[in-house]
Amino acid sequence: MTSLFRFVVVMIAFFVTQPLFAAENVVNVYTWSEEIPHFVIAQFEKETGIKVNYSTFDSNEIMYAKLRANKNAGYDLVEPSSYFVERMQHQHMLLTLDKTKLLNAKNLDPAFLNRAYDPRNEYSIPFIWGITGIFLNKNYYNEQDAEQWKNLLDKKYANQLMFLDDSREVFSMALRMLGYSINDSNPEHIHQAYLKLKTLMPNVKLFNSEAIISILIDEDATVGMAWNGDLYKAHQENNKLQFVYPKDGFEIWVDNFVMLKTAPHPENAYKFLDFLMRPEIAKAVSMNIHYSTANLAARNLLPPEIKNNPALYPTQATLSHGEFQTDVGDQAHVLFEKYWEQLKMGG
Amino acid sequence: MKAHDNSLKYFSLGTIWLWLIVFALLPFALVTLASFASHDDTHLLTTPATLLNYFQLNNAIYLKIFKQSFYIASTCTVICLLLGYPFAYTIARMQSRYKSLLMLLIIIPFWTSSLIRTYSMITMLKPKGIINSILLWTGIIDKPLPLLFSDTSVMIGLVYNLLPFMVLPLLTNIERLDNRLIDAARDLGANRFTTFRRIILPLTMPGILSGSILVFLPAMTIFYIPDLLGGSKSILLGNLIQNQFLIAQNWPLGSAISVVFTLILAVMLLVYWHSMGNKERDLL
Repeated sequence: MTSLFRFVVVMIAFFVTQPLFAAENVVNVYTWSEEIPHFVIAQFEKETGIKVNYSTFDSNEIMYAKLRANKNAGYDLVEPSSYFVERMQHQHMLLTLDKTKLLNAKNLDPAFLNRAYDPRNEYSIPFIWGITGIFLNKNYYNEQDAEQWKNLLDKKYANQLMFLDDSREVFSMALRMLGYSINDSNPEHIHQAYLKLKTLMPNVKLFNSEAIISILIDEDATVGMAWNGDLYKAHQENNKLQFVYPKDGFEIWVDNFVMLKTAPHPENAYKFLDFLMRPEIAKAVSMNIHYSTANLAARNLLPPEIKNNPALYPTQATLSHGEFQTDVGDQAHVLFEKYWEQLKMGG
Repeated sequence: MKAHDNSLKYFSLGTIWLWLIVFALLPFALVTLASFASHDDTHLLTTPATLLNYFQLNNAIYLKIFKQSFYIASTCTVICLLLGYPFAYTIARMQSRYKSLLMLLIIIPFWTSSLIRTYSMITMLKPKGIINSILLWTGIIDKPLPLLFSDTSVMIGLVYNLLPFMVLPLLTNIERLDNRLIDAARDLGANRFTTFRRIILPLTMPGILSGSILVFLPAMTIFYIPDLLGGSKSILLGNLIQNQFLIAQNWPLGSAISVVFTLILAVMLLVYWHSMGNKERDLL
């Protein structure tokens, strides 16, 4: 009996202990999936002797739930999207960054600094960004058919459209159709957006966030909503694909690095973050994942066919129609989720 | 020797009990506790204890989600039974040296993850997929059929994934069927249909019931098949619970849904248990 008791104690201890690597020379990094290529991590480990424990997530919500469920998860650097930087800051989860340890921050693109979600970049460093816009396949539609989100309400798209499986993205689009900001948290406006989406539902063929590229390439869906980086990737296999910046406005998202207050290895985290902001490293990351870099020095190093590609680097005039995502608060989140359930259940 | 046997027995039983307590009872107890908690902006779970989460479930949208899941799972079970019964019957009664090979073929799909097999169904069903390509090539159709991202593709995926769970219990059950009873029925003048209805069907009822339960329960909660093959256009129970935990960050409500669902399943299992005679209970 005593040995059984001891066994139970050991089992419980095993499940509740902190990560054992807390004292070692490591840095624990938690980013969007496939964001940092292995050769970049290997180079950092070789230069500094610091081991990188790299884990990934595929939605902000999962990352946030994990960090909240276990306050001592042991992560140092995390990469939330802009509106989650704000949300995490409201929860006092973020460390104020010591800029003297981030000398490569001078390489960053000023267009992505001091935005509303972190007005003085005290907590976050922008890394990768993109646009949520309209895609269409020129074998089936003309660009004039879908210049604005509003055009997607047309009956000719019955059971044709693909949308991201993400309530916030889809509501942002509906709010733009109505002329409201994507960051509008007025319950009345969100209700109007819901009614708008209800009229759009007969046109929806599918919601998807995981297999977008293969769906675009194989023409499983030929028009709808997509991220520009995915479209760029798919375009290399199917040149009929076209990305459209909706004239009635669109969302600009930015993935940022933040440090947690509970970070066990802040010094190593600074070293890794500064390393990622080196122009040649940021360029390698951007070329590997095919998304736009928020590092101006890195962007200048990119091959001309990428840095001049309007799908990845739109002009300032185009960008002026875009809005940066900010946190809309828990009340709006609950509304989005409630209406999202109703929308999918046809209620 | 005797004492040695006993300690081995206690050890293996103890391990199973420990396993069930740590990985089944304890998590369920935690979920039950969480379902009575409140939540606010800064806490996932907090006091005071409340019944509010359960009252919130009395909501048209949740009832609709439950009804929809129930409907899909029942349809899937009926289709699996209609396909699986003749199939299991044929294999079980077959006098062929290939019989064990055929049984092996039912098992082989389990060697691959169900998620990967669902992705391969996409390749079959998509507009440029295998089925459409063949139909186009043979000239049966002149435009790809919109098979993927529809209710049909969800049902195909569910039946494909769950059919073995219907066939295997039926196979075991039908194999045990005593041939002499069938012969006796025929000798006494029963035709094929009467023999099936009065002899075979009642004797294989335990197999039908356990097969149906094994298909129905996962069909209620497998959320990735409707997501992947149906284009996430509707929310089923699995998605609902997942969303409450991850997106809406409402752990108490998500827990309450899980608890109610578990209780409903437990009641169904109890009804099943009581519907069987003592003898069949022993056979399980």
